[in-house]
Amino acid sequence: MKSGGWVFLAVSWGIILGLAALCFIKIFSRKELR
Amino acid sequence: MRAAKKRDTWGSRLGVIMAVAGSAIGLGNFLRFPAKAASNGGGAFMIPYFISLFLLGIPLMWIEWTLGRFGGGFEHGTAPGIFHSIWQKNRFIKYFGIIGIFGPLVIFIYYTYIESWTLAYSFFSLAGKYGHLADQGAMQSFLRGFQGLEKNQYFNSLGPAYLFFLFTFILNIWVIYYGIKGGIEKVCKCAMPLLFIFAFVLLIRVITLGTPDITKPAWNIYNGFGFLWNPDFSALKSAKVWLEAAGQIFFTLSVGIGVILTYASYLSKGDDVVLSGLTAASTNEFAEVILGGSIIIPAAFIFFGPVDIQSIARSGVFNLGFVTMPLVLNKFPLAAVFGFLWFFLLFLAGVTSSVSLAQPAVAFLEDEFDISRKKAVIIFGAICFILCQAVIFFLKHGVVDELDFWGGTFFLVLFATIETILFAWVFGMENAWDEIHRGADMRVPGVYKFIIKYITPLFLFFILGMWFVQEWLPIIFMKNTALADRPFILATRAGLLLIFLILAILVKIAWRRKKLEAEKIR
Repeated sequence: MKSGGWVFLAVSWGIILGLAALCFIKIFSRKELR
Repeated sequence: MRAAKKRDTWGSRLGVIMAVAGSAIGLGNFLRFPAKAASNGGGAFMIPYFISLFLLGIPLMWIEWTLGRFGGGFEHGTAPGIFHSIWQKNRFIKYFGIIGIFGPLVIFIYYTYIESWTLAYSFFSLAGKYGHLADQGAMQSFLRGFQGLEKNQYFNSLGPAYLFFLFTFILNIWVIYYGIKGGIEKVCKCAMPLLFIFAFVLLIRVITLGTPDITKPAWNIYNGFGFLWNPDFSALKSAKVWLEAAGQIFFTLSVGIGVILTYASYLSKGDDVVLSGLTAASTNEFAEVILGGSIIIPAAFIFFGPVDIQSIARSGVFNLGFVTMPLVLNKFPLAAVFGFLWFFLLFLAGVTSSVSLAQPAVAFLEDEFDISRKKAVIIFGAICFILCQAVIFFLKHGVVDELDFWGGTFFLVLFATIETILFAWVFGMENAWDEIHRGADMRVPGVYKFIIKYITPLFLFFILGMWFVQEWLPIIFMKNTALADRPFILATRAGLLLIFLILAILVKIAWRRKKLEAEKIR
């Protein structure tokens, strides 16, 4: 894999993992989560 | 006077998120995305993909969650009632909402049949029924025999396919029968973690494949990922690549179908939609880009090499899933187990999607005709079972492709455009903004006020126009349809028109009934 491929993989995974982590952390930090 | 009926509700917030994510995560996440990315610029495909996600996918997610919750407040769980609640002065708008019942109903008719193939292949994997097949031709023949398209040494009747269809169909109806909390939510809460566990096991297996054939050192996992991720920036000059990315975002998130509207209608007025909608979208993206992008294409590259992978990536979703992937899995140690994991993963993704597709029609009967859920499910099941027969017995005449075009493509984009205009322009952006933030656990960035009002509708008009001219016109005029198949295609269209008209009549009757009841109360 070329270095450009690694960059795109890392950035794409980073955006998605970051977004998912942010959402789930916010959800599980709510006290009233049923 | 009829007593106000208590509508079903979700049991938990995580339950609704899992159900919406389950509806969105389907075969497309594991098959369509990697194939599209690999053949449209690799890593560079992610530039239009993310632009479409943030300008089209996420705004539409928020619009549908908000509209659904708003309509649920008026005891409407489907688009005719929800659209009418938004624009009460317009007596025709409810008829546009029919698309939100028609689309999922049409998709359900063929989706359950395809879903049953994944269950059948899970069984075939464990039973070692295709384990000895070593080339594309033999695997293709196995699939065609199973589908009843030809009689061969593998299958001499449609019997096995019909048996698996019956089981899958009954399973779907059984889940829907037990309602939102007792059926759909319970299934999604079990199926979704299981789906992720199976996908992780497959991902780890693919990543640890290394270089299985030392005589071909270039056929390794790094180059497998490279085939998908190495950017080809010249692809970005092509309008087709941008349209493919927008299409992938549109179809992967299950927006424009009407399912999210119905699911969100079971929320309470003060329940959050901003964070829940974003979480469902990001869960779907995780399954698509991280899991979906790391299984089939890298694995196929390792075993078929850099030349064959080009044609494999362009061979279409069904070929990738039911022909290429079994061949790849046959080369794994413990092939039967990994074959089972792959197909059962697709089956779980299918079930959580198909039960969601049934819900709008069932909710329509419940909410607008006061029919009990169980009766509504039995009516829905009986009608769909009859309609499914056309898909099973006329598969070779292109009935599935035709249903997919109208129910799963054309009306989806049209419906999304209508609901965006209604939300941003008829309901009004100020009202819409307040409604989005009612009970919200996070603020939507202010720029989305502009995006939802101007960018998303323009984006939708653009893809609607481009697809209509470039791809849809030849399909509508049957330019690539064989002469022998044309009567079947025309009959399918007549059947679809009839379903649409029946739904329109039902909407008219429901509204007349409500008007008479309101007059009686006065």
